[in-house]
Amino acid sequence: MNELFEPEIVAFVCTYCTYAGADLAGTSRLKYAPNVRIIRLPCTGRISPMFILKALQKGADGVLVSGCHPGDCHFTHGNYHARRRWMVFRALLEFMGIPSERVKFSWISAAEGGKFADLMNSVTEDIRKLGPFDQYKELIRETETPATF
Amino acid sequence: MTIQETYKTRAKELLSSGRVKMVVGYKAGSTPDRRRPHFIRTPEEADRLILDSACIANLSGYLITEGLLSDEKSVGIFLKPDGVRSLNILAAESQLNIEQIVVLGFDVNNNEITALKGEKAEDFSTLIESLKEHVPQTPGNPLLERIEAMNAKERFAFWEAEFSRCIKCYACRQACPMCYCRRCIVDCNQPQWVNTSSHTLGNFEWNIVRAFHLSGRCVGCGNCDRACPVNIPLRLINAKMAHEVLGAFDHFAGMSQTQEPVLASFKKDDSETFIL
Repeated sequence: MNELFEPEIVAFVCTYCTYAGADLAGTSRLKYAPNVRIIRLPCTGRISPMFILKALQKGADGVLVSGCHPGDCHFTHGNYHARRRWMVFRALLEFMGIPSERVKFSWISAAEGGKFADLMNSVTEDIRKLGPFDQYKELIRETETPATF
Repeated sequence: MTIQETYKTRAKELLSSGRVKMVVGYKAGSTPDRRRPHFIRTPEEADRLILDSACIANLSGYLITEGLLSDEKSVGIFLKPDGVRSLNILAAESQLNIEQIVVLGFDVNNNEITALKGEKAEDFSTLIESLKEHVPQTPGNPLLERIEAMNAKERFAFWEAEFSRCIKCYACRQACPMCYCRRCIVDCNQPQWVNTSSHTLGNFEWNIVRAFHLSGRCVGCGNCDRACPVNIPLRLINAKMAHEVLGAFDHFAGMSQTQEPVLASFKKDDSETFIL
C-alpha cells in the first residue's frame, strides 16, 4: 500500500470566471494536479446542490465549487444566491456527517490562473491526506450488489 | 362554554352565513388519542368537530389541494401558531391567496388548549414575532446535542443507521405542508438525481435533499416526524437547519405573507468565511 492515493475530485466552475481562470492557468503553462475533473456551467447560480450529491454518488472523493468573486457575476447576482445556498448546504452536509473538508468552495476570477493552479494542488493534497471517502463508497457498493431475498 | 363549543359555534356561523364554503378542522381518529382532518361543508357536519390537546397536526397543507381555492371562495381552517406560519410561507411563495383564508387560531401547551384571537393570518403577527424572540440560543434537544458532539465519521454512521430503515414511502413529503411541488425531484428520472430503490445511498440523498429544500421554510410542526413509519428523527434535521438559518441570516420562517424566502434572496454582506 505504498502507492500514492490519487483522489478523484470534481470541480463545478462557472464559465465566465473560474473556467477562464483555468484557461489562463493552461495558457500560462502552469502545472497542477491532474486529479480534478472540471465541469463547466453558465454561472455558480446554476450549480444545484444535487450536482454535489451526484458527484459523490458517482464516487468522487471531493468536490470543489468555484465561481466569480462577489460583484463580478456576469448575471449580476448569481453568485450571491449561490453563496447563501452553499452556506446552508454546507451546514447540512456537516450535520449529516459528510466532512466539510471534502466539499470546498472558492472564488477564482478570470485573471487568477495562479490561484487556480495553487488551489487545485492544495485541494488535491488535502483530500489525498483524508483518503478515499470510504463511508460513502460503502453505500455505493451496496447499490451495486445484487439483491438477496 | 368550553373552547371546543365556542369554536363549534363559530364554525357553524361561518358556514351558515356563507362567509366560508368549508371549514377544515379535526374529528375523532382511529384511536382515542388521534385526530383526523374534518372537512366541514354544512353546519350540521360541524357537530363532529373536536378541538382538544390531541389536535396537533398542521392542517395548512390541505389548503393547496388542487382546485380548492380556485373558485375564489373563502375557507376556514383551524391552525396553531406553527400552522399560521406555514400559511404565511405558502402565501409568500404564491401558492394561495391569503385573503381567502379565515383562521380559527388555537394553541396547545402542556396538554392545555387555548384560543387565539384573530381571523386573518396577519392578526397573529405579534404572536409570531414573540415566538421568534423566544427562540432558545441552543435547541436544547438531548439527541441533537449528542449528534453535534460526534465527529464526522460517527455522525455519518448515525445517519446511515437511521436512513437504512427508510422505506422511501414519502410519507414525510405527503404530510409536509411545504412539499407541494407538482413534480418532486425524486420523481424526476431524466436525469435521475436520487436512487429510487430503498438502498441506504438513495435514502441518504433523499433525506438530504428534503432537508435542504425545507431549510428556512420548515416551521417545525412535526407532521413529517409523526408520519414516518420507521421513526427517523426527521424533525431534528429540520430544526437544526432552521436554527442555522436563523443564526446566519436572521430568518425565522413564516413571519409574514410578504417575507422573502431565504434561499431566493441575498444580502451583499452575507457571511462567506468558508469560501477559499
